[in-house]
Order: sequence, then C-alpha cells, then structure tokens
Amino acid sequence: MNKNLYNENQTIEEIKNTFHTAEIKLQRESRIIVKLRSDLIPPFLSYAKNYLAFNHLAHFSCVDWIEDNEFELVYLLYSYEKNIVVIAKTRISRDKAEFVTIKHLWRQAETYEREIHEMFGINFTGNDRLNEFILEDWDDIPPMRRDFNTIQFAKDNFYTRPGREDAQDVRETITKKSGEKIPDFAKEFSVRNLK
Amino acid sequence: MREKETTLYFGPQHPGITGNMMVKLKVAGDTIVKAETHVGYLHRAFEKLMEQRTWMQSFPIVCRICVPEPDPNEENLARAVEEIEGREVPERAKYIRVMVLELSRLAAYFLWMGGQAGTAGLYTVPQWSVGDRDYILDLFEELTGGRIYHMYIWAGGVRRDLPGGFPDKVLRTMDYIESRLPEYDKLMFENAIFQKRAKGIGVIDKDKAMEWGVVGPPLRGCGIQHDVRKDEPYEVYDKLDFVVPTYEGGDIWARAMVRRKEMEQSISIIRQVIEKMPGGEYYNKVPNPLNWYVPPGETYVKTESARGEFGYYVVSDGSLKPRRIHVRGPAYVHGVSLLENILVGANISDVAMIMNSLGVCPPEIER
Amino acid sequence: MAINLKGIISPYNALKQAGKKPHTVQYPFEKKEAAERYRGFHYNDLEECIGCGTCATICQNEAIDMIFIEGIETTNGDSGLRPRVDNGRCCWCALCVDSCPTGSLSLTKEYLHVSEDPDSFLLIPGLDNPEGKEKISWISNGNSLLDYQRVPMPELEGKERVKSFAEVVLGYSEEQARAEAARCVGCGICTDNCPVHMHIPEYINAIARGDDEMAVKIIYDNNPLGETCGKVCTRRCEEICAVSKRGEPIAIRWLKRYATEKAKNKDILKEIVNPVILPPNGHSVGIIGAGPGGLTVAYYLALRGFDVTIYEAKDHAGGMIMYGIPKYRLPLDSIEKQIEYMKSIGVKILFNTKVGKDISFNELKQKHEAIYIGIGFEVPYKLGIKGEDAEGSIQAINFLRAINSEKHVEIGNKVVVVGGGNVAIDAARVSRRLGAEVTILYRRRVEDMPADWEEIEGAEDEGVVIHPQAIPLEIITDENNKVKAIKYANAEMIPDPKGGRPRPKIIEGDEHIIEVTSVIAAIGQEADYSFLPDEVINAIEIKRGRIVVNEYQQTKLPWLFAGGDIANRRADAISAIADGYRAVQGIEKLLLNEDIKNGGRLN
Repeated sequence: MNKNLYNENQTIEEIKNTFHTAEIKLQRESRIIVKLRSDLIPPFLSYAKNYLAFNHLAHFSCVDWIEDNEFELVYLLYSYEKNIVVIAKTRISRDKAEFVTIKHLWRQAETYEREIHEMFGINFTGNDRLNEFILEDWDDIPPMRRDFNTIQFAKDNFYTRPGREDAQDVRETITKKSGEKIPDFAKEFSVRNLK
Repeated sequence: MREKETTLYFGPQHPGITGNMMVKLKVAGDTIVKAETHVGYLHRAFEKLMEQRTWMQSFPIVCRICVPEPDPNEENLARAVEEIEGREVPERAKYIRVMVLELSRLAAYFLWMGGQAGTAGLYTVPQWSVGDRDYILDLFEELTGGRIYHMYIWAGGVRRDLPGGFPDKVLRTMDYIESRLPEYDKLMFENAIFQKRAKGIGVIDKDKAMEWGVVGPPLRGCGIQHDVRKDEPYEVYDKLDFVVPTYEGGDIWARAMVRRKEMEQSISIIRQVIEKMPGGEYYNKVPNPLNWYVPPGETYVKTESARGEFGYYVVSDGSLKPRRIHVRGPAYVHGVSLLENILVGANISDVAMIMNSLGVCPPEIER
Repeated sequence: MAINLKGIISPYNALKQAGKKPHTVQYPFEKKEAAERYRGFHYNDLEECIGCGTCATICQNEAIDMIFIEGIETTNGDSGLRPRVDNGRCCWCALCVDSCPTGSLSLTKEYLHVSEDPDSFLLIPGLDNPEGKEKISWISNGNSLLDYQRVPMPELEGKERVKSFAEVVLGYSEEQARAEAARCVGCGICTDNCPVHMHIPEYINAIARGDDEMAVKIIYDNNPLGETCGKVCTRRCEEICAVSKRGEPIAIRWLKRYATEKAKNKDILKEIVNPVILPPNGHSVGIIGAGPGGLTVAYYLALRGFDVTIYEAKDHAGGMIMYGIPKYRLPLDSIEKQIEYMKSIGVKILFNTKVGKDISFNELKQKHEAIYIGIGFEVPYKLGIKGEDAEGSIQAINFLRAINSEKHVEIGNKVVVVGGGNVAIDAARVSRRLGAEVTILYRRRVEDMPADWEEIEGAEDEGVVIHPQAIPLEIITDENNKVKAIKYANAEMIPDPKGGRPRPKIIEGDEHIIEVTSVIAAIGQEADYSFLPDEVINAIEIKRGRIVVNEYQQTKLPWLFAGGDIANRRADAISAIADGYRAVQGIEKLLLNEDIKNGGRLN
C-alpha cells in the first residue's frame, strides 16, 4: 500500500520534539512503535491522550523477557482522529516488578492492570483494586511468567487417567531395533521434543 | 429515605449472555447501587498454552476463545503471523476469509438476537433465530468440516477451497435470511414490549464512549461512526461497498438497531464477495509446522467482530513458538469497567438486557 | 405516553407461522447425513501407515499415542507403531491428518459416541473402525501441510560440466538448506536403513534451527567421513524417508554436505567437533588400508586412547573414495581436509607401505595386538569375451585410478562402457570429460541399473547414451591388436520363474557392431588376499571372495577384524564406515575387557 503517511510522520515529529529520548519507529501504515524510558511513560501517555488525540487505550500488555531479566510493558493507544495505533513500550526490571497506574487517564486501565498484576505479578502503585481477578485462590508464582512451568503444574495438581501407559516413543523404538545410540548432546535436537 | 442495601449475585450460569460470569450487585430496592464483575469461571490459560505450542498448533486454540464467533480470532492470528513473516495471501483466500467472517458475524447476530429478545421475555425470537443460525452453521459445516469451531482460516490463506456448488448455497441461504428479517422486525424490533424495555435503558455517554474504550455496535449506537473494516481495511474490505450504520442515543435500542442494520450490510457484503471472488490459489503454504520458525517481530492486528474491535498483540522471538499472544476482546472493556459503571442506577430487571446489548462474552475476557 | 398500536399488533403476525412446517425437526426422525468434509472420528489405513508418529507430535492436545498393535512388526521403514486417539482429548483440528506424511490418516463422517466408560473413548483408527474406510471425509490429498517438493540442488549445466573436472553439485545456500531441513518430520525411520545409524533427525533439526555447527558435531559422532558421505553417499536413508511415501524424500545427503562444508579447514573442523580424546591406554592396533572403513576404525580408536597405525599401499589415503570416485563428485581438497583432521587427533598413516611387500603381515601381527583389514576390492573382473586383451580395452577401476592420480589415459573419441553400476557411470562421465562420445551397454533395463538415479540422470545430461538390454559378445580388433569395434546383441527380459528379478536373454540374430576407440569394462571387482600368510587364510573363512565376520567384524581369528567390500556385499562407503564403527566396538571390547571367554571371540 502506498498511502500518504502524513498523519504518521507528523505524529512522529511531534513525539520527537517533546520526548527527545524516545526511540520511534514507523512500523507500517498506522502503526508507530515508541520505546521510552520507564519514568517517561506516564507523561507520554498523558501527552498522547490530551495533545495528540490518542484517546482510546486499546490494550495494555506485558511480555516477559526473562533472558534480559525484564518485563516489557506495552501500551496500545489509538487515535480515532488520526487512525493510528501507537505502541508505547518500556522495560522494567523483573526484580522490582512495580510500576505506576494509569487508571486516572483511562478507567479501563484498572481492569488491564488487574490482569497484568495477576498474571505477571507486577504491582501498580495507585491502583487500589489489584484484587483477585481471573484466577481463584492462586498461591503459585504468577502464571504468565516464563519460569512458570505449566507441565509441572499439571503433574503436581492433576493425575493422568490410567489406560495410556503403553504409548511408545517412535524414535526410541527405532533406535532399539537398530542399536543406534544417540549421544546426550544431540538429544535436545530431536523434533519429538516439541512438547 | 434511604432504602436498605442488599447484595445480589447475578450469575454465574449464563446470566443472559453466552458464557459464565457473575455480577455482584448491591441493590437498594430495585435499583442498583454498585456492580462488580467477577470472572474466572472460564479461564483456560490459552495465552500461556500457546507459548508452549508451535505457531500452527496455536490455530486450533485461538478459535476457542469465543464460542459464538470464533473466526475473528483465527483471522487475527493468521494476519498477525502473516504480517510478522511478510507472507503473501492469495487474493481468493482473502475473499473466502471475508465471506467466512461475515457469515460468522451473521451467525453471531442471530445468537445475540435470541439472547436479547430472551432477556426481554420474548421467547419466540430465540426459537427462530437459533434455528435460522443453524442454516449458517450448515454452510460452515460444508465449508470447513466444523459447525462451531472452524479451524479454517490460518496463516497463508484458508485450509480448503470452496466445495463444489458452495457459492449458490450461500446465496440461497442469504435470500432466505433476508426474507426472514422483516419477520424479526415485526416480532422483535417493532414490538412495543421490546421498545419499551430498550429505549433509554443502559445509556452510554457519547462524549466518554471513545475514552472508555467502547467499541463495535455500542460505540456506533452512540452515533460514532467507527468500524475497523473502514478505518483500517483488512483483506478486501476496501474493495467492497457497504455502509457503517450508526444510531443516536447510546441505549439498548440504538445498539440493537445498529446490529439489525448491519445484518443487511453483511448479507450485501457476502453477495458482493461471491460475485467478485477470483479463482486461483487459496493457500500460500507455510513451512512444515514442526519446523516453522517465525522471524522476530511484533504486531497489533485488529478485526471488527460482531461485538467490536478484536485485537491481538503478537510477539515472536524467532523461535518455533509464539513469545506472547495477548488477546483484546471487545468484552474485556464492555464486560468489566463499562458494565460496572452503566449498571449503577439501572433496574435489576434490566441487568441481563444491558449485558446482552453490550455483547459481553466472558470467555474472551479471561481467555 | 401514546400507545404504540403497531408495536402491540405486529408481533401477532408470528401466529401465521403456526400453520407452517417446522424447519429443524422432522417427523418421523431423519438422521442427518454429515457434510462431505465433516470432521468426525479418525480412520487410519494400517497398511499405508508407517508409524512415523508425526500425528502424535503435531497433536496439540497430546491426544494421540503411538502403540504396538498385534500383527504389525517393527521393520525397516516401519516403526511397527500405530496411532491411538483419545477422543476425550481430541479437538478435531485435523492437524494430524494434514501433516501425515503417508496420507494414511483421515477423518470420517462418523461422530456419535455416547458412553459412560471413559476407556471406550480410546480409538485405534483403522483397527477399531474398519468400516470407517467407507465414510472418509477429511483427507490431506493436495492440502498437506508438508512440503513434498525437494529444494532443487543447484548444479553446473551439463554442457559446462563436461569441460572440466569441476564439482558438478554446487551445494545448498544457507537459505536453501534451512528450507530443505524444515521439510523433515523428525521421525527417525531413516536411521534404521543407514548402515551406521547416523543421528539423521537430530542433525537435520540442528540445521533447521540454524545451528550448523551442532549438526557437524552430531554427524561426527559416528561418521568421521561426514563430508565424503555428504557428497557421495548411496543414501539408503532417503529410500525409506517418511516423506518419500508421497513425495521426494528429504535431501539428507545434501544437508549433510551443507553442514560439513561449513568447516572450511581441519582446524575449524576440529574446533567444531571438539572431540574428547582419552589419554593413551597402551594398546596398539594396526589397520591395513586407508579406505573409509580403515579410517573410521583409526579415528574412533584414536579418540579412545589407542595407538593406531594405518598401512596404505598408495600415496594418498581414502581408498576407493580417493581413487575410485571421480573428482567432479569428490574433490581432492575435501578428502585431504578430512584426512588432515584425522591426523590431527592422532591417527598415524604410513603411505606407500604395501603389506606383503614393504612389510610382512607377520611383522604387523607382532607390532599390534589387533589388526583390521579394509583393503577393498581392487582387482577388476574381466568381461570374458574375445579381444579383451587388445590395446584400448581397459578396466574401469584402473582407468579411474589412473585419472584420479592425474595420469594420462588414451581413450580416443568413441568409448563404450560396459556395466550399470556407479563405477560404470563414473567411467562414462569421466570419458565425456576427456572429450569422447560415450555409450553405456547394460544387460538389463535402465530401472535395474544399480547406479544412483541422480548419477544416471547426470550422465544423460552430459550426453552419455545409455543402451540398455545389450550384451557384449566380442571386441573386434585391427591388425595391430587395437580395439576397433564392439559387437553386442540385444536382449529381452524374461521373468524369473522363482520370482527373482527378470533375466536378460539374447535375442538370436539381433546383433550389432559399433565402432569404438576404447572399451571400458565395469562389471565388478574382487579382493587380492595374497598378502595374507597361508595359516591366516586357513584359519579364517572366506566365502565367495568375502571374509566371514561376526557382528563385531571379527574373523575366526579373534585378533583379526575385517570390513568394507571384503566383508559386506553393499559395496559403498557408508557400509565400510559402519563396518569400521562396529569393529571399533569389537576391538575396544577385546582389548580393554580382560575376561572375554571363547578364546577372545566376541559373541
């Protein structure tokens, strides 16, 4: 699509002028990614809402980058006027999983933050309604964290119905017949380890 | 004189909507003073499960996020993966997708019609509408092999081509459905009981609607013309001729009429799609699903579902499995922060009406 | 408020429906036939299924188990397992059907099952519902998720090729290799047919993941000549590849080639493979012949701390892969890289040392505790027809050896090659490169030729004429005893009454003569055991020219091991490598294990 990106470029320009440290990328038509320092997120959101007409907080998401020991908070803003989605992102440390609420800007943020709090264990200061939301009586680590092991959880909490113990591994069956010995360093490269 | 407040638990067994959810009401007499949404009865941890499955294995999962209307989920995930990968979709597949999406919108509206009339005590409408919805499910059965969950739209196109004679069957069904709409008008939309129960009830403030995150028919029922199909046309919506109906008032009646008018639009879209559908390929094959590495990237895609903007935030880290798929269903806002607010001051007997008119669907709130 | 009269009356309109026939329920009850594509219970064609288990792997609900069922054995190319579906878990997404390599799995129109017994939801498709065959609805034909087309290997054009001995196959690019590796379903059925049982799914998956170095490491786990095999292996693995049931098998050989070529020289190779070399254990092993088998024995014994010495009669290591395979298939620098790498981990090779001439066998016996013989078949069979000793009548193996030693051989401009194996094709293609017109005479049909089909196609691309069902009768010579022409007869194929492959029979009177400048015979070779002392020959058993060995490649003499062409009938490098690998286990057991009974026999 070769459309006029006037709105997009203008928005980028305006953000750049106000937030010098922002890393801004035009992903495609009507998608702008803005990476910000975490302390700039609340002023940015307020600015985007009040001055750039991004009055719709479409979504608020979180990604666990456990290898970097960081959570990425992702705010998806939409402007009806400009027809642009801004993906505003920031990273916070996993060790200090805390951020400020934005529920005073959009009241639905309260719900979004409740979910992220429950699933990732991030505390949003100022949000007084971070109570039980989707999960009931949950006492394990927040389940959407990458280090939560679903399979182990299932094994610990449920039992497998008897009747399927005779299942065989195809690769093993063949090695048994041929006498092939797979070295340990190669085992993780078996496609059959998908699960 | 201040009346004594009582707590009333509304739900969780299908409280006038599809799915299990509970609203804890504080009532003073007949009037609601405070409402609190409780979800958690349908949490299936889909987002977590998909992080542990390959991209292809995620497709049978996403459709289960919403029972009445699974296809926008498939569409969203397919389009997200295609965007991250830069994969082309054959033109024919785009038309087929639009046809499927519109059929599912019709099916969802029939189900909504039954629910909405049922909450008003008009029990003939659900009998009819669920029966008429079945004709659309028959079409799905023939096209996709499944009646409710279709697992049909996926990355690269659609799974199977149209079976022989299918377009004619769709057109016949559309003719039939169109002939039925006036009957529904007489039975439901022109019905004095329904009008009395719908007009002026559950009003959303027009000035606040956008800011509150209201989408879909409830937003258009506030007189705001916003539809993802028009604002950010996906597939081939930009090549089709349709209007986005709006109604003023922001009440149940306006939302109902928006949906009623959209049904006509959907029928018209399906007819156009069948007329314009090109031949050729319907699937641009992805690699072997066991070894399908999607390059790193992220995207936010949205689809206009029967209940409003359905968004997916999808992140790939270049591995076999999705890093994150976060679903933003319209009910996520409608069913919690919006519902809790507009229920205040409403009458107990209107709670189910209001919930249904907002298109609240618990399975997509909690996934 | 005004009374909405229309709104009160119009709903009564619905009453007119009362006289109509209902839409959904019919009386008497009619069972609704499911749609043509309905996704109901599974059906599996048990004959077609090879038990690759792809259905179980792709199933996102873990609803499919692979189990043994009565009457189906684990064979070469069939794991003997069959899927069983837990319909309590199945979600009918049909990913299993769409990714079934053989197409044996399908869904049926049947969908009704009501029972209080949870075990009854376990269904072995095909076995429990044989009637499902009649009700198949969802099939993968034409809609499979797998890719049945191989990524084509870039090659030199036929016309370009005949100009030089440059390598014909150009090799996959990284992108091509990833795409080809991605086609693999990882079942491992192929490994059974590989004589050495290489870890094929693992190294292919490593390539698909982009970890080429790991692929090399996995390849070198049981094959020290991975690069050679990547170029010239007879790849029996591809014959039983699960994907080959409906399409082109995974290019296992080319992927191995791609990975091993990533190590540009011996130092990089050593760094990647990074083998564990055990400290010397004081045992000494002698190896006769630096062919693929001998090199394998030497490599793995050296890694395990043995003192190994190879005695090689010629001035280069590699045996047949050095002297038999033309350089356009396996370039010299590739062989040298692999040999240099072996030397760097402690393998000693004595060149130009022919046992029986430069050193006696008994001397070897005294120096080493165990001896491995891998001398190969070096002596060609003769055609046994008149005029064979004429000038211009040569044996393919001698011809190739001379060319690979960069010697000049005069063959003239019109050559006939007799035979249909890889040696015959090699001789023909080499002759094309020397500028001759080449015709291959072969006794049977083209499809009976033992040569690889890719080699046959390659030869045809280069302009080699293949004349099947032609039996040479006589080589006609001129007055100087030089080859002038060859006389052959056409043959017809008559079926073997015992059920074997059809035999050629000369058609009487259908004789022809072609003028030629050379005749190259390539009908097989045999071994030369003259270096072995009589007492050894008498102690071991030689059957039809091959030494009889046990599963550890051990001969009747406990300290003597043999492998390669002289011990197996497969006549390829990978079998020699497999023999070597087995001999390593045997020698290790023999020399490191003190309490071997049966006088040192390993059984």
